[in-house]
Amino acid sequence: MSCPGGFGELNIPSSRAFWDDCEEDEFENIKPAEKLKLQFDAEGDAQELPVESELFVLIEGPQISEFCNNALLTGLKHICGIPSKKSALHWNAAKGQLVASLEEDLSNSGEITELLLPYAQLAKKVLTITIKPKVEYKSEEIDRFSDDVSIVCRIGGNKSDRDVVKLEEPNFIAGVTAGIASWRHQLDLPISSYVIYTDKLPLDAVAAQAVLQLLQKLGVTCSERYVPSSKDSSYLYT
Amino acid sequence: MLFLKNKAKTLDIADYTVILPSICVGNAAQLACDLLIASKKLQRIGSLFHPCLIPVYGPSAYQHEPEERVASCELYTSVEDKLLVIQFRAPLIARHTNDFQKQLVELLQPARRVIILSGSFGFERRIMEDSPWAYRASDNFKEAHAAQLGNASLVKWKEHTGEHIFGGGNALQLFKAFDQLKVPVMLLFRYLLEGDNSTDASLIVRELNELCEDFLQLRNGGDGKFKLTVPKSWNLLFGNEVTELLF
Repeated sequence: MSCPGGFGELNIPSSRAFWDDCEEDEFENIKPAEKLKLQFDAEGDAQELPVESELFVLIEGPQISEFCNNALLTGLKHICGIPSKKSALHWNAAKGQLVASLEEDLSNSGEITELLLPYAQLAKKVLTITIKPKVEYKSEEIDRFSDDVSIVCRIGGNKSDRDVVKLEEPNFIAGVTAGIASWRHQLDLPISSYVIYTDKLPLDAVAAQAVLQLLQKLGVTCSERYVPSSKDSSYLYT
Repeated sequence: MLFLKNKAKTLDIADYTVILPSICVGNAAQLACDLLIASKKLQRIGSLFHPCLIPVYGPSAYQHEPEERVASCELYTSVEDKLLVIQFRAPLIARHTNDFQKQLVELLQPARRVIILSGSFGFERRIMEDSPWAYRASDNFKEAHAAQLGNASLVKWKEHTGEHIFGGGNALQLFKAFDQLKVPVMLLFRYLLEGDNSTDASLIVRELNELCEDFLQLRNGGDGKFKLTVPKSWNLLFGNEVTELLF
């Protein structure tokens, strides 16, 4: 491994202020951002009108798209692409359910939240599920969870739901699911928000069970089980 | 951008002192605002939304408002003390920051005065004997607080004149934006290093309170001392305990 800088070079830590690696002396020269847009398949105003749904489900996490495509979105109508990695919005007409599968992309999450607000506004109920790596879960009793593949937590919500741990500070969620949940909460609109800490990302057959069980319990149409497609190589040494 | 619980469209902050943290080295300014909000039991009045702010959501950060949910930018007030404290809980997205800053400054323009808290890398303090504090104030702020800023026994801060505050985030840009709109503004920062910055945070609050008690209205018992409350969100600030399984 070569030395990344010159020998003896002082590496000054970068600014904490900006998520996207900008420094204080570069900040004034940053060009304003171009506005992101939802990517509709067909052109026409009717396509672009937000859908009124019984339930708007948002599921967000790193490397989540394969799981969503195989276990959640089969047979659903693709409404539009969300301008962030492999994210998209799908519609289940039979159940009146709108499903947003969101690859974690914090840099664009504020803007994407704004794009999805009209859908969240029209939805009767909104459910957000955030998938995070288990190492990010903070607890004074962390040893209690050491053997668990997944830890499912709710943010506020139904106290009678004893299977699910209430998320305690200093844990929090970030991203589009957080934006939509926060917005609905501020407006006193119903919101169910969950976070699943898992020790396997991308999800494998075992780790996916916690997500599928939660989705089924909350009335979201999904597969019974998920088996990730096999890969020719592990890519471990390439 | 602005969401207020009372559904109002604008902030009524004439005569208010606004305390605003920049996202700086060690997050010391945000920690100072945390201490201020928890100690004074300030009331959440709303939040700010903008694409510049990465959305966050979770359990309340403070003991005195257990039913609240954290957001990326929260507004807290004390009507009695005419104090508005803004708290940021997420870093900024650089390409949206100019627009956010413009809207934020316009929103806070009616305030009586704005105090921006910040920090700079400790190694930027070139002379060891120099004060660990530095400040920058607009002319109208200096005029209005000549007695406090002119008190040499109290204020040992160095006036900052440079073009950058390294590690200070967008503090200087915010300062300039308020100054352009003729809002009395002071930027106070401390030279510090990354690590456990909770002490720096309490020092920032104490220093500001010492300069002018009517900024923060923090007093107690008549002996000049006051007790700061640590918010419950500071629990496990450096992560989980090391698991026993490791050994």
